[in-house]
Amino acid sequence: MLTRRSAFKAAAGIAATATLGVSQSAHAADKVLKIGMDASFTGADSESATRVANGAIIAFEDANKAKTVKGYTFQLVKLDDGTATAGQYDPAQAATNARTMVADKGYVAALGPQMSGAGKAMSPILSAGNLAIITPSSTNPDITDPKFAAQYRPNGKAIYFRTVATDAFQGPYMVNYLVKARGIKKVYILDDSGAYGVGLADAYERQCKAKGVEVLGRDRLDPKAADYATILTKVKSLAPDAVLYGGVGQAGVKLAKQAYEIIPNVIKAGGDGVFAVDFLKGVGFPAVDGWYASNASPHKDDTNKETAEFSKRFTARFGVAPDDYSITCYTGALAIIQAVKTVVAAGKTVNRDTVRDAIEKVNLPHTLIGPITFNENGDLKNPVISVFQIKKDTTHPLDDVDAQYHYAGVAPQV
Amino acid sequence: MTAFDLFLQQAINGLSLGAMYSLLALGFTLVYGIMELINFSHFNVFMVGCMIAMVTLKLFGLNGQDTILTGLPLIGVMLVGFFVTMTLCGGIGVFIERLLLRPLRAVKGPAPMITTIGVSYVLFNIILLTIGGDSKNFPNPLPPIAFNIGGAVLRLREILIWIIAVLLMGGLTYFVQYTKLGKAIRATAQDQEAARMMGIEVDRVIMSAFFIGSALAGASGMIFGLYYNLAKVDIGFGAGLRAFTAAVLGGIGNVPGAMLGGVLIGLIESSSGQFLGSAWSDVVIFSILVLVLVLKPAGLLGRLAPNKS
Repeated sequence: MLTRRSAFKAAAGIAATATLGVSQSAHAADKVLKIGMDASFTGADSESATRVANGAIIAFEDANKAKTVKGYTFQLVKLDDGTATAGQYDPAQAATNARTMVADKGYVAALGPQMSGAGKAMSPILSAGNLAIITPSSTNPDITDPKFAAQYRPNGKAIYFRTVATDAFQGPYMVNYLVKARGIKKVYILDDSGAYGVGLADAYERQCKAKGVEVLGRDRLDPKAADYATILTKVKSLAPDAVLYGGVGQAGVKLAKQAYEIIPNVIKAGGDGVFAVDFLKGVGFPAVDGWYASNASPHKDDTNKETAEFSKRFTARFGVAPDDYSITCYTGALAIIQAVKTVVAAGKTVNRDTVRDAIEKVNLPHTLIGPITFNENGDLKNPVISVFQIKKDTTHPLDDVDAQYHYAGVAPQV
Repeated sequence: MTAFDLFLQQAINGLSLGAMYSLLALGFTLVYGIMELINFSHFNVFMVGCMIAMVTLKLFGLNGQDTILTGLPLIGVMLVGFFVTMTLCGGIGVFIERLLLRPLRAVKGPAPMITTIGVSYVLFNIILLTIGGDSKNFPNPLPPIAFNIGGAVLRLREILIWIIAVLLMGGLTYFVQYTKLGKAIRATAQDQEAARMMGIEVDRVIMSAFFIGSALAGASGMIFGLYYNLAKVDIGFGAGLRAFTAAVLGGIGNVPGAMLGGVLIGLIESSSGQFLGSAWSDVVIFSILVLVLVLKPAGLLGRLAPNKS
């Protein structure tokens, strides 16, 4: 569900001028390893694409400069999966990029894509070529789900790795968070009838049962209907501690507005479907105040010294501050560097097969986003879901997502 | 909340919905009564009304729910808001009738009805392209006063909506029953040919019906905005369809029938949401409609017109 957020970021627009020129001050004798960097550099998401790629640039520049892997230089190659016609990512272009990389044996690994839609197009091709890719931001669970292995990794081995969690964790972890932070005992669950919303609401329901939280009821909102007062009156009569909403803004905006009138004191929470500028703007204060939202990625925490340090370097180098996905991409690049290093240390040939095997076993116990190890599907063993709460901040524009959604912390895994 | 409180609260919710549907249903019924034309553009005249009201209130410097007005300024803003919205929507109605439907008056078959569907989409797309497709935060200057009746809550805005709806419907009833133009409307509805022979300017009557119906749709649109604090380009279809159903339920062409139908649909919607789940509301509403039409084909208060040519 990256689309909305990044579209916002693009709209927020601060001009970034950096290109993907990882400086090649390395020795002439060094072997060059190509790393693909696929992102949507054209279209609505170009701003965030650049920020994502810049995270990788820093990692590879560091590695080349410090000669982290002796005898090898990394060369980051930009591949644009956005097209002017699509105005954003184009799955067909993403597939072409995947084929380009697979055809050139110089590529030993890749980073990207930003968008799940692009990932779905690339994954089967990369699987056939056994070329590992690490995505910094695509969160659709299907791509790495073993249920869909025949579709997305026909070769069998995991090739689609992530430094973000998947949407599948948003529901359960939000319940964990609310139980721990707010002590909820009784909830009412609503969804917006869409695939994403129903899935999220199902996940809430399962986790509530697992945690012993009483589910007072579950109802489905018609996103085209205007009136939810009836259902909210019913919810009010049951007096839940929290209302958990699975869905996006279309029903969410109307729900939030009417919930504020009818059940103002009940805790309200949703997934990344309500982590968006259209939700914030459409609902408006005061109705939107207090809503919880989650996001399937670690949040840049500038109170952490090392993150602040990274932000400073990043800003000095590129003139703009990094966002969450700059850091997940940076971390993905570190994983690739670590993998290549272990291959070289073991005395094996550096090629895409050995690098893929090494990425699967990568163990970075300490990164800006916590420990990084992958499971057999390519997903993070310790997925991080960030929780945000909307609190009115009058020092910033009231439709500024970054200012009004306050980081509330990492959702507990249990 | 006791069961009684819950019942009371759902009745309050249902009556507010009903007030909105009734006003909208009147537009369908007026036009149908006279021309036997189902005017589908009415759906989006309602939506445009909501947008006009939003823009008008914003011109007063109202933004979201930040500014609360009381006393005379509130009454003034409301009066101006309703006046502007209703006049402009009435104007749109007249425009649709005069420019697009009158040339088709002599055409038999579904051409005029299809035209109204076309107009509906044109209005929809004009708003989509100018104002946009996302949910807008409708300015609401009403003070958040609420009265507790047991466990149920009656808010000022609900009372206001009922008062406005009753005033408008009362005014319309008076107009149709006792004024000259009203009588002309009824005469035209009964028999256009005879009315023309009696010296009634049928074209003017039809145009007035369009003006009044569309103005009521505009009022209904503004009420929608004030009730939900929301304006969105797609609100017309949902509300319009229910209002149309209300008109048919009450007996299309029949003014008190449209009011009764609207209130009934509102109450059915809120009680089915309570007892069956909101996903079932439409099923219940339309099942009841079908049932009523099977047992009483002319609708609850309607009469069949036996000898209309």
